[in-house]
Order: sequence, then C-alpha cells, then structure tokens
Amino acid sequence: MEKSEVRGQNILFTAVISISIAFLTGFIILAISMVLLKGLPNMIPSILSREIQFAIKLSFLTSVISTLLCIAIAVPVSYGMSRLEFFGKRFVSTVLDIPIALPPIVSGVALLLLFGTTEFGHALAARGIQFIFTPLGIILAQFFVNVPYMIKVLGSTMNDIDPRMEFVARTLGCSRLQAFFKITLPLARSGLMAGIVITWARALGEFGAALMLAGATRLKTETLPVSLFLNMSCGDLKLALAAASLLIIISVLSLFLFEIMGGKQYELSRSSLY
Amino acid sequence: MLRIENLCKKLGSFELTDINLNIEKDEYFIVLGPTGTGKTVLLELIAGMYQPDKGSVWFGDAKISDLYPEQRSIGFVYQDYALFPHLTVKENIFFGIKCRGIDVNEGNKRFREIVDFLNIEYLLDRFPSTLSGGEQQRTAIARALVTSPRILLLDEPLSALDPRTKQIFQEELRRIHDNLKTTTLHITHDFSEAMALGSQVGVLHNGEIMQVGKPMEVFRHPNSHFVAEFVGAENIIEGHGRGKTIEVSNNINIETIMDKTGPSTLTIRPEDIIISREKLFSSAQNNIPGKIINMIHQGPLYRITVDADIALTALVTMQAVEEMGLQKDMPVWVAFKSAAVHVL
Ligand SMILES: Nc1ncnc2c1ncn2[C@@H]1O[C@H](COP(=O)(O)OP(=O)(O)OP(=O)(O)O)[C@@H](O)[C@H]1O
Ligand SMILES: [Mg+2]
Repeated sequence: MEKSEVRGQNILFTAVISISIAFLTGFIILAISMVLLKGLPNMIPSILSREIQFAIKLSFLTSVISTLLCIAIAVPVSYGMSRLEFFGKRFVSTVLDIPIALPPIVSGVALLLLFGTTEFGHALAARGIQFIFTPLGIILAQFFVNVPYMIKVLGSTMNDIDPRMEFVARTLGCSRLQAFFKITLPLARSGLMAGIVITWARALGEFGAALMLAGATRLKTETLPVSLFLNMSCGDLKLALAAASLLIIISVLSLFLFEIMGGKQYELSRSSLY
Repeated sequence: MLRIENLCKKLGSFELTDINLNIEKDEYFIVLGPTGTGKTVLLELIAGMYQPDKGSVWFGDAKISDLYPEQRSIGFVYQDYALFPHLTVKENIFFGIKCRGIDVNEGNKRFREIVDFLNIEYLLDRFPSTLSGGEQQRTAIARALVTSPRILLLDEPLSALDPRTKQIFQEELRRIHDNLKTTTLHITHDFSEAMALGSQVGVLHNGEIMQVGKPMEVFRHPNSHFVAEFVGAENIIEGHGRGKTIEVSNNINIETIMDKTGPSTLTIRPEDIIISREKLFSSAQNNIPGKIINMIHQGPLYRITVDADIALTALVTMQAVEEMGLQKDMPVWVAFKSAAVHVL
C-alpha cells in the first residue's frame, strides 16, 4: 500500500470511531436535556404539590425497604452461590437470573397470579398481608425485579475474594460465621455499596411490575414513575415532567456514586494512611 | 507429634495418594516437590481446608482430621502470605489473639514479644498492600505464631523473594525455629532450602511421598530415578548387576560396594568424579578413559561431560581446568571410588 493510502485509512478509522462516540454522547444529552429544560423551571412549585410530595415519600419508602430486603437475601444467596458446591447449582443459578431476563410487566403478572389467585395468596391476605393494589405490592415488585442485580454485583465481588482469606482466618481461630463477618463482608464492602446504589436506583424507577401488582392509584400507590405516567396520560405536563426530572437527577447521581464505588476500596484505605 | 496416616484426596483430576508422614516435636520438616505435585493441597488437608477422602491426621493421640480448622491450632503461612488487605499489620497480628479469645494482658505480651523478635515495629500501622515481600512474610509469620500454634505450616515461604532477600529470610526462618522451637512443616521445590533448614525431608511426586530422610541421606542415597534427578544427582546410569560389579556397557564395568544382581540403576554425584589427563593410580577403583564432549562454566566450577561409552558429568574447579589445560575433545580419564557409586 502507498504511504498516503495507509494514512488515509488510519484517519478514516479514527474519524468513524470519534463520530460514533460524539453522536451517541450528544444524542443522550439532548434527549435528557429536553426533559430537564421543560421540567426544571416548574420543579419547585411541583415538588410543593401534595401529589408529587406523596410520590416522593412513597418512592423513597418503598425503594429503601425493598433495597434492605434485597441486601438481606442477596448476601447469603450470593455467598452460597460463590462458595458452596451442590447438586443442581447451574440450574439454581439460571433460575436466580430469570427475573433479569423477564420484562418487568411479566414479572408483575406472575406476582399478581401468585398472590391474587392462589390459596397461598388468599391465606396471606386473610392475615392482613395484602400485596394487591397496596404499597406492600410495590415493595414486593421492586424486590422481585431487583434482587438478581444485587446478587450479580455481590456474587462477582465474592468470587473475587480469595476463599483462602476466610480459611486463614479460621486457622487463626474464627468460626465460619466470624470469618464471614470479619473478613468476607468487609472485603465485599465496595461490591455491597455498588449493589445498594444500583438496586435502590432501579427500585425508584421500577414501573412495570409494580403497575401490575399494585396498580396506579392516585395518592395510594403513586410512586414517582407512576406519577409521571398518570399525569402524562391526563395531560398535566408540568407535574409529569417534574417527576421525570426528579428521576433523572436521582439516577444520574446514583450512576455517579456507582462509578466511584466500583472497586476503589483499596486505594481509599491506602490513601487514608498518609 | 503430627502423624499423617494413609491420607488420600481427589480434587478434579488431581489425586494425593496414601500419604504417610510422621513429624516429631520441634522438628523442621521439609516437603520437597516440583510444582503441581500437591504440596499446597497437602498443607490444606492438614489444616482443614478440605476433608480427606480417606486417612487421618493426628496430633499425638488426638485425631484432628475430624475437627474444624479453627479447632486444630495450626499456623498457616501461604505462598502469597494471604494477609487481610483491609486490616493494618497490627490488626492482622491481633486477629488470632481476638478470635481465640486470649486474655488481653497475655495477648499484649505475646504481641510485643513476636513484634520485637521479628523487628516489625515500624510496620504496625501500615496496610499489607504497602509492604515488600519480605515484610509481608514476617507479618504473616507473626500473625500465625502469635496464637502459639502446635505446628507452623509454611507454603513455599521463600519462593516469592529475590535471591538476596531469600538468603536473609532463610537465616531468619532458622533463627525463628532455633528460638521458638515451633514444630514446622515447610514446603518447597528447592532442594537447597531443604539442605539449609530441614532436619527431615520428604519428597513428594505426583501426589505420592517417594522418600523420607535426613536431607544429606536423601541427597546421597536417592531411592528412585525421580528423587535422584530432582535433588540434583546427575549421572544416572542403567546397567546389569553381577555381584559388586555392574556392567553398564559392553566394555565398561563399574565397581560398587553393594551386591546387586539383575537390572539396576546407579548414580554418581558429579563432585565425586575426578578428571585427569593420565590414568590415576589412586585408591579410586573405577578408572575409565573417554573424551571431553562438553564444558559448561558455572560460577567457580566447570561442569564437564565426558563420553566414556556412557556420558559422565563431573564438577571440576577452574584452577584444575587451567592446570590440566582441559579442552573440548581432549582424551581424559575419569575416576571415582566404588563407595561413590550409589545403586538404587
Ligand atoms: N480445589 C481444587 N480443585 C481441583 N484441583 C485442584 C484444587 N486445588 C488444587 N488442585 C490441583 O491439584 C494439583 C496440585 O496443586 P497444588 O497447589 O497442591 O500444587 P503445588 O505442589 O502446591 O504446586 P506449586 O509449587 O505450584 O504451588 C494441581 O494440579 C492443581 O490444579
Ligand atoms: Mg503450592
């Protein structure tokens, strides 16, 4: 090949890559700023409205509770999946991933059928544990859809922790439980934080599954995404876009947090030395 | 004191078969073996990372292979030290004291002693990721020793260090053992460590213990082809025994001091072979003519290979090489005593 031809090819190659990156970045910024431009000016009065305040409170409450539930179950599950060998492990692992692959609205239908049409569901409801068309349903929907993400993030962190660390701790006199709390869990801290951020942010935005299970009732099961949906359908653009802007701000902040947490633990502990 | 009986363990395609070892109190026992022969797995079996498929591990008359790792009182120092990265050196060392619930005063006393003994005062507030290999090693040893284990297991403690540091820490390990007398099981692939430190050595190959003995014994009298080669014996020769003579080729017989009939293998250590220009009239019973086919410079020595129908390698000092003017292709005589011939 001619020298100039090589040069031309290289320039073309670089150009294609640069243009792709610039295009996508611009596209995303443009789309988001459309919402923010329309939503931000009305933010303050909208936030003061009773409806948005209700949505904010309900969203925070449900997402925090469902995230706590995710932690409570994902910690032992991900530990077991990374440390134990048992018959049918691959099958179990696939099952645990199913909610990720399902459209959330399908998960919602599944939960609705389980709790709305079975003896099990009726028995729970009779004891006052009512998931259908209640905030409890929102929490359950968020949990069901998000727990696999928590398990994924935590699981990959646990896999990165050398099992010999725990073993050494045990030779030094710890029980399994102590070794888990003194060694494995602290070493999984960054993964746990990242898992919390991603689960919580997703719970805040959860719509499809919660819609099926808890419905979209104004001032009853109205989370921020539901508020956006309800106000959009009845044409109250101001409130709708305020809710959307709030969700964008929270998501971007979470993403930012998530990026910071990803595996920076040791740099942090090292720099805190000096 | 530590007794391993018929220990078997299968892990994937790897298998440790029928390991029997007996380690006396205060002994410095070395297990020697090439990479991938199951040295780490053996230590992990002793310490309780895995359950054996068969066999047992005993401390005196207490069977420890049924106990949890935390009940065995074994100090374990891994190849890469496995320090807890989220804890400072001080916290790492105190870890066992806290876990074992050792009384505060007693714990502080032991901590002081081991820190002073290993000279790691200056490291105490640092995190493991900021330590050099040698510093990590001392921390890991301190962490293990502070709980006063009944036995200390060291997994290739010197292999991650550069040659100079290695020398220093080899001495350090000797000093630790001389002073604290903790029974130690040290694992390595380097025979020189066994020679320098071990009071007993066991050679592990393909998941089997091939030979156990004092390092010098194993070195002088390897009991198999593999051990001979691994501990560095060259001149491994096949032949046919006729009493105290072994016929190794049509016109070469090697005199030995052992009676042997039938097919046999013999080894002669290179430093036991003498090379000369003329036939020597000495006490050496074996004198064979040949021709130098290779000379390799090795530090202050030459490793000279002579073709005497069979290939024989000798170690000769540089001074001797210069005095005799030895060169490649030169006809020479090789001589060695019958006592230097080790029949396997
Ligand atoms: N948990 C396991 N599952 C399957 N195979 C294993 C397991 N642990 C070790 N092995 C295999 O057992 C063999 C022996 O491993 P081991 O680590 O004991 O060797 P080693 O003698 O310590 O080698 P090195 O000198 O390289 O440290 C290797 O082939 C290894 O792949
Ligand atoms: Mg090893």
